[in-house]
Amino acid sequence: MENKIFGYVRENGKIGVRNHVLIIPVDDISNSAAVAVENIIHGTLAIPHHYGRLQFGKDLELFFKTMIGAGSNPNVAAAIVVGIEPKWANKIAQGIAETGKPVEAFYIEKNGELKTIEKMCRSAVRMVEHATSLKKEWVNFSDITISLKCGESDTTSGLASNRIVGRFTEKFLQNNGTVLFGETTELTGAEHIVAQRLKKEEDRNKFLKMFNEYQELIKEQGVDLLGSQPTEGNIAGGLSTIEEKALGNIQKIGNAKIDSALDYGEQPVGKGLHFMNTSSAAAEAVTLFAAAGAVVHLFPTGQGNIIGNPIIPVIKITANPNTVKYMSEHIDLDASGLLNLRENLDHYADCLWNKIIETANGKFVKAEILKHREFVLTKLYPSA
Amino acid sequence: MAFYKFLVHKEGDSVGIATDDLQPHEKVKGKVLEGEEEYEINVLMEIPLGYKISLKDIEEGEEIIEYGEKIGKAIKPIKKGEMVHVHNIKSIIWGGNKDGE
Repeated sequence: MENKIFGYVRENGKIGVRNHVLIIPVDDISNSAAVAVENIIHGTLAIPHHYGRLQFGKDLELFFKTMIGAGSNPNVAAAIVVGIEPKWANKIAQGIAETGKPVEAFYIEKNGELKTIEKMCRSAVRMVEHATSLKKEWVNFSDITISLKCGESDTTSGLASNRIVGRFTEKFLQNNGTVLFGETTELTGAEHIVAQRLKKEEDRNKFLKMFNEYQELIKEQGVDLLGSQPTEGNIAGGLSTIEEKALGNIQKIGNAKIDSALDYGEQPVGKGLHFMNTSSAAAEAVTLFAAAGAVVHLFPTGQGNIIGNPIIPVIKITANPNTVKYMSEHIDLDASGLLNLRENLDHYADCLWNKIIETANGKFVKAEILKHREFVLTKLYPSA
Repeated sequence: MAFYKFLVHKEGDSVGIATDDLQPHEKVKGKVLEGEEEYEINVLMEIPLGYKISLKDIEEGEEIIEYGEKIGKAIKPIKKGEMVHVHNIKSIIWGGNKDGE
């Protein structure tokens, strides 16, 4: 198997596979300026979102981790931050600057939006010149971080697409790679297996605490997630219970052991396989993985989830022949041959390996071609 | 090898998954994912691709096993060859005090 990719070695030594000049709005009311710059300056990419005002406590901490993490992602060559006020814009820019990449902050108060857009555009011209002058290098495939999250799962996910990702993950970890996975609620019924796989006792306790906290939160609402888990799409695809869905879900990590348990937005320390506390909503989870340094995401689907991310390519794998037939513009790897045993698991794990290398070397995935750029922040509780 | 029309995650599971649309009165063969174990079942009703087929007679209240783990329990008796889904099984963890209908 090929084990080199042609990627970008960033100032801090991390490997990126895309080369964005990212325009980061601090808050909802700065989205307009960020998008304006994206429209004017070729080679820039805005990541509009709905929050960044009056957040506080742990929710605010997670907000900063996510925004700084997005700008720090190795797929980003340079970043421009824009907020209504200087303080939070500067805080995010300073966090990103620690990676050594070029970053500038702007604020709209006392300037007005139009003047701010002009300043940002002038900065963006320099940033794009810088980004496009960077040269790619041959580096080890295993030096990148890959994240995992499935969606619109059905029984073909647990039978095939998630298992292919699992077999790939085992091989990638044997090659000293780094992998992130999460989806706390969608482990319900399989949490004992994840707990057993954690290498360290302290991580096992941390994982179970995070898992149980969410179960308690559900109970406090006086409900259970029956009705939303499994989703309507899952049930239409043959999944009957959350336990069945969760057991299919964890096929994505194969038989691998887990090196650490991270809370929302925590950066993994060291290589290996890391669990992160995340929502099971696709865009929220992928946004957190990207903020934690993942540069490629693997997304097995059954019924056909169409999610993408602005910063990292999201590779879709399905084994459902109907999804391949009706949703081909979203699918990067057709693994339906595993259902009728036409090909075996190792064959498809190798296909996926090659697909990721091809993607890392620059080929666009379907979600990028279709401009799917879901950047969605996780909120822990309402803003003040 | 479209010879097999359903697959079973683990030996000892009570359900398999249809990998083709199954028709009533059809006799179909299935196979366990890892291993050599094969199955032959008389299909009792229409079971679309991706839906579960019962590999044995199951009593009301009995645990349903897939992946070698509990995925729920039967809320009515299920015959070998019948479809297994939300109409006849429910989660053990969530919805425990409800009828599961």
